[in-house]
Amino acid sequence: MIRVVHILNQFFAGIGGEDKADMAVAVADGAAGAARGLQTLLAERGQVVATIYFGDNYFHEHKDEALAAITAEIEKQKPDVVVAGPAFNAGRYGLACVEICQALSEKLGMRCVTGMEPENPGVGVYRDNHNDQVFLLPTAETASGMARALAALATFACRLAYGEEIGPAAEEGYLPRGIRRLVRVDKSGADRAIAMLLAKIDGKPFTTEIPMEVWDRVEPAAPLADSTAANLAVICTGGVVPWGNPDGFKTYRNTFWRKYNFSEVKSLEPGQWEAVHGGYNVAFMNQNPHYGMPLDALRSLEADGKIGRGKLYPAYYVIPGNQGSPAVMRRVGQEIAADLKKDGVEAVLLVAT
Amino acid sequence: MISAMYPVAEQVGASRIVKGVSIPHPCGDPSLPAALDAQLRREIVSTALKALEAKVDSSTVFTPKIATGA
Repeated sequence: MIRVVHILNQFFAGIGGEDKADMAVAVADGAAGAARGLQTLLAERGQVVATIYFGDNYFHEHKDEALAAITAEIEKQKPDVVVAGPAFNAGRYGLACVEICQALSEKLGMRCVTGMEPENPGVGVYRDNHNDQVFLLPTAETASGMARALAALATFACRLAYGEEIGPAAEEGYLPRGIRRLVRVDKSGADRAIAMLLAKIDGKPFTTEIPMEVWDRVEPAAPLADSTAANLAVICTGGVVPWGNPDGFKTYRNTFWRKYNFSEVKSLEPGQWEAVHGGYNVAFMNQNPHYGMPLDALRSLEADGKIGRGKLYPAYYVIPGNQGSPAVMRRVGQEIAADLKKDGVEAVLLVAT
Repeated sequence: MISAMYPVAEQVGASRIVKGVSIPHPCGDPSLPAALDAQLRREIVSTALKALEAKVDSSTVFTPKIATGA
């Protein structure tokens, strides 16, 4: 009989809703809340030895402490496998499930399975982690899909606990993680490519061996009636920051943004600003920061009335974009958009490299 | 957005894309004399402002009138 630890949020542990979302990590012996359903489905195959739960807000506001507490409890319980969720369409919970699975796999080598709706923000992080020890099963949008989700999680957990080899996502039903494996096949690449091409010409189905990344499609915003009347802000992903890089941006894989006030600045003088970015030669931008953050042009257009007086936002936003992970950049974009909206900005110039 | 990697911007579905000069210096050209370089930069930013007034249904690339030297 396998040992399972089930990880839940405060709601699915049966503690309460938003009023309990600030509760710290807690542990119940055996199965509690939704874990009882998991135990029923595991039946004689396994035992839920403990249920770990936490408040949705607490986890995200005290992530280090929460992950440390959960890791310590898993070390104590020594389960064969960890099940987190299902989180359905709950964003905080879904992200927490993915981050916990990732941490337990990295720190303890634990194999983990979680479940949520494919649109849950946790899925982007899961994909981005490319972790071959963590599996995410698609579920329905709401808890009406609980029984089906728990049944799938129970069976998958048993297979992980037995150390079974898990095949590719398309065959096993978990969401793909962007991991490519070497496999031996009968036909050479040339033969397979020709077969695919012939199938395509024939209008027959074929499966690519190199799926392309699927990007979000964003509807273009409506045009401005008059750009001189719009509140305008600038975002820079080229990495132009005040000299000395006061917020410690890295040259790659940044995870936060900052904004720097330039309301009193007419032009960006070399030696007072610098470019932090590992994806291109920053020498030109260090000599003339306007190549990445064209303040001199903005001021000149302002002087000629092409940008309305007082319409240029007093600060510019920056995150060096090099090697940014799509999931992180999506969050950063949402945060910057919220900040822009709060301050009534109507149009944005994004200067990339 | 202003980007020298405008094919990438198109591929990921950015709406209004203005062609930058080159990846290490999208807004300008260090081989030009300073005054022309500044003029070019202004042209690029002006093109971006015009792009904001354009109705677009999908990824659209706007090309600034790049100065060809003195």
